Amino acid sequence: MKIVAAKKILKFNDRLAAENRAAFDAAGAFCVNVVGSPGSGKTTLLEALFAAGKGRLRPAVIEGDIAGAVDAQRMENIDVPVVQINTEGACHLDAAMVASAVGELDLGATGFLMIENVGNLVCTAGFDLGEHLRLIVLSTSEGDDKVVKYPAIFQGSHALVITKSDLCPYLNFDPQRLIDDFHRLVPQAPAFQVAALRGDGVQDLAEWLLEKQTGRQGAALPEKK
Amino acid sequence: MHELSIVEALIEQVGREVKRAGLAGKIHRVELSVGRFSGVNPGCLQFAFNLLTEKTPLEKTEIVIHEPKAVCRCQRCNARIEVDEFVAQCPECGSPEVILEGGRDLTLQSIDVEES
Repeated sequence: MKIVAAKKILKFNDRLAAENRAAFDAAGAFCVNVVGSPGSGKTTLLEALFAAGKGRLRPAVIEGDIAGAVDAQRMENIDVPVVQINTEGACHLDAAMVASAVGELDLGATGFLMIENVGNLVCTAGFDLGEHLRLIVLSTSEGDDKVVKYPAIFQGSHALVITKSDLCPYLNFDPQRLIDDFHRLVPQAPAFQVAALRGDGVQDLAEWLLEKQTGRQGAALPEKK
Repeated sequence: MHELSIVEALIEQVGREVKRAGLAGKIHRVELSVGRFSGVNPGCLQFAFNLLTEKTPLEKTEIVIHEPKAVCRCQRCNARIEVDEFVAQCPECGSPEVILEGGRDLTLQSIDVEES
């Protein structure tokens, strides 16, 4: 006998993610899932973003790493509430891990809940965490061909952040090629070019995120999945 | 290797579906749809399935994986062409103005169960 299921394999994760999103909405916290390779500059971007949006973002952070609390320590150094999740080998965060971590944060006092996912361009793509937006972070030194090689992670993202843009003169990296390829998957999504250590371009990203947060409080964003 | 977590979710889902249908027989085959742009590797999925079902009732279950393609939509010539991988140009007219859609399926299609 054949049972026709036609159901998403990650349905259980998606359901938990929807619950997370409802909890974030109820508390008025705007949640951003930050994905990208190890070393692409996700933590440095967060530091620069929080400095650029000082007093306006009210951030809290969930750090996802296979091991260690190096990134969480960096958030503590700048007085941002943080929870570290150690996946102990798992290559991505899932909605259940996020649900257990948010219990340790004061969501009501949080404007932006930034989730820094495990550094990975593949495995993080399929797992909705309950975020409102997904940012894909790619550094110039990783190469401008990455959309071709890893379409899934780009296709499900709402904005592209190209980091380490100040290294462009020393690299064979064409930002326009990356942006054009990204737009073949997500037409009209914004692309930001930043040099986070110098602060270049970070203000634009902060303003865009604030705009999206305001939009969410008005009307729900269209579902991305 | 996120295929391991995906297979864990799959095994749970298969169990739930079979129970819901009130069946208890052998599970001969499970059909999946894994899109070309899903970021999931069918070979790794099969490997993870073999690994996680060893010495369980699903050990002999056959996995059939369908791999739906993505669709390339050309903004210039309006062609809609199925593609296996990312393309930066329309396969029909060569225009770079293309939009790629779909291919992200990750679904459990059907389960073949022995009637007891």
